[in-house]
Amino acid sequence: MLTVLLVDDDPEFTDVACTIIEFLGHEVLTAANLAEARDWLTKETFDHVLLDFMLPDGSGAHLFDELDVLPKRPRVTLITGHPSVKGIIKGLCGPNIDYLVKPIQREEIEAVLTGKKDQKKQQSGPKITRHFGHLIGESTPMKELYKLIERVSRTSANVMLLGESGVGKEVVAAAIHEASDAEGPYIATNCGAFSKELIGSELFGHEKGAFTGAVGRKAGVFEQSENGTLFLDEITEMPIDMQPNLLRVLENKVVIRVGGTKAIPVNCRVVSATNRSMEEIAESKVLREDIYFRLAVFPITIPPLRERKEDIPLLATYFIDELNKENGTNFIWEDTQLDTLKAYDWPGNVRELRHFVHRAAIMSDPEGSDIELPKTIESPFAKKQSTTPALQAGRTIEDVEKELIYATLEKVNGNKTLAAEMLGISTKTLYNRLHAYGDLSKDE
Amino acid sequence: MTESEFATLATHVHDARKPLNRISMQAELVKMALNGDVPAERAMDALDKIIASTKACSESLTTMMSELGDSQTD
Repeated sequence: MLTVLLVDDDPEFTDVACTIIEFLGHEVLTAANLAEARDWLTKETFDHVLLDFMLPDGSGAHLFDELDVLPKRPRVTLITGHPSVKGIIKGLCGPNIDYLVKPIQREEIEAVLTGKKDQKKQQSGPKITRHFGHLIGESTPMKELYKLIERVSRTSANVMLLGESGVGKEVVAAAIHEASDAEGPYIATNCGAFSKELIGSELFGHEKGAFTGAVGRKAGVFEQSENGTLFLDEITEMPIDMQPNLLRVLENKVVIRVGGTKAIPVNCRVVSATNRSMEEIAESKVLREDIYFRLAVFPITIPPLRERKEDIPLLATYFIDELNKENGTNFIWEDTQLDTLKAYDWPGNVRELRHFVHRAAIMSDPEGSDIELPKTIESPFAKKQSTTPALQAGRTIEDVEKELIYATLEKVNGNKTLAAEMLGISTKTLYNRLHAYGDLSKDE
Repeated sequence: MTESEFATLATHVHDARKPLNRISMQAELVKMALNGDVPAERAMDALDKIIASTKACSESLTTMMSELGDSQTD
C-alpha cells in the first residue's frame, strides 16, 4: 500500500480519482492547490505525488524544490493536459519522471503507481559505452575508426565519410563534432533532398526577395554552423552545376547569399558523406575533382556491419534497451537469438539492424521479457543487391549481350516477339542468338 | 495567428480538456460499478456527470468560437 498525494484543482476529477486509487488499495489525500499540498507535505510522508502541472496558485513544478529536501523524496508523476508539455518538463526535471496526460484512464494511474517503469531500470545490464557520445562497438575496425576520429578532431580538416547505406555516417559526423569540442553548433543537411533551385538557398542563404517565395532573409547552413560542424549528407547527389559555388565557398571561406552582394566570412568544419565508393566517385563524375580534394582532406571509410559482426550483440542490446526505456517494456535477448543476428549479413547495416530490433519488439508480448524473432531475416534490398550484377570492365560484349537477352526474356515471360522488340532487334536475330547459346532446338 | 490569439486559444483548449478528463474518469467509475467494485448507484451518478461534462465541453468550445471570432473582426 502506498500513501499518495493527489494535487489537482478539479474537485470532480480528484473525487473519482480517489475512488479509483483507493480501490487499487492505496491511501490517498488530496490538495486543490500548491498551498494545500505544501501543508500536507509537512504533516505526512508520501510515497507518491500525482501533481497537476497547472494549479491556481502556480505551476506544479514549483513543488519540486520542496520535494527534493524532504527526508524521503516521493516519486512524482506530473499530470498535464498537453502532451507537448512533456518535452519541456523533461528538459526541466530530467528523464526520471512519469507523466499522465489528460484525459486519464484508470490503467494509466495503475501503471504509474505500481511503478512498472521502475523495475525495468534496475534490470538493465552492464552499461554500453558510447564512444564520443554516439558510437557503439568494440571491434577492431571500430577501434581503428575511433583513432581516426580522435586524430582528425584535433585538426580543422574537412572530412569525407564513405560507407554503405545504413552504416551510420551521420552518427560518425556527430561524433566528430563532439570530439572536436567546437564552440559552434552541429548542423546537418542532405544535399540530395533539395531541388537545384533550392539548394543554393539552403547552403548559402538568401536575401529578402531573391526569388519568388523568399519573403525574408535566411542564413544558409554555412552561416548557421559558424565555428561548428557542417554535415553535408549525400554530397554526390548534389547537382554538378551547383558544385562550383560550393567550391568557391570552400576555397575562399566566404559565402554570398542568393540575391546578395556582401561576402560573409564563414568558418566551419565540413563533414561530407556519400554511400558511393571512391572508385565510383571517380568513374561516375558525380563530384568534381577539385571539390573532392577540398572535402576529402581526410577521408574516413566506415566499415559495414558484416565486417564487425562482434558488435552486433552490443548494438542489438543497446537498441532493445532504448526501446525498453521508451515503452516501459522489459525485453531481454537470449544468447541464441544474438547468435542468429550475428549470423546474418545485414546488407542494410546498422540501420537495418535497428529497424529489425524495433519490429521484433513490436511483435513481442509487452508484458513478458521474451523477444519474438521472425523466422527469417530478410530485406527487400538484400535481394536486389545480389541479383543486379554490376556492369564491370573485363566482361565481353558478347557476355553482357547474352545476359541482357535472358533478362529481357524473363521480363516478358519468354515471349520472343516482345523481347526482340524491346531489345531493338529482329525476331530472327533473337532466334539466331538463342540458337548460338544452344538454348533452342533446331526445329524451333 | 498572433501570439495573443494563440494564448487565448491555449486557455480555451485547456478549459475544454477539463470536462473531457472528467468524462474519462467518470466512465472508469461506471466500468467499476458494472464490475461490482463500487456500489451500482454510483454509476447512475457518474453517467449524469458525464452528460453534464459534455455540455460543459460544448459550451467552452462555443465560447472559444465567439471569442476568437470577435478577435477576427477587430
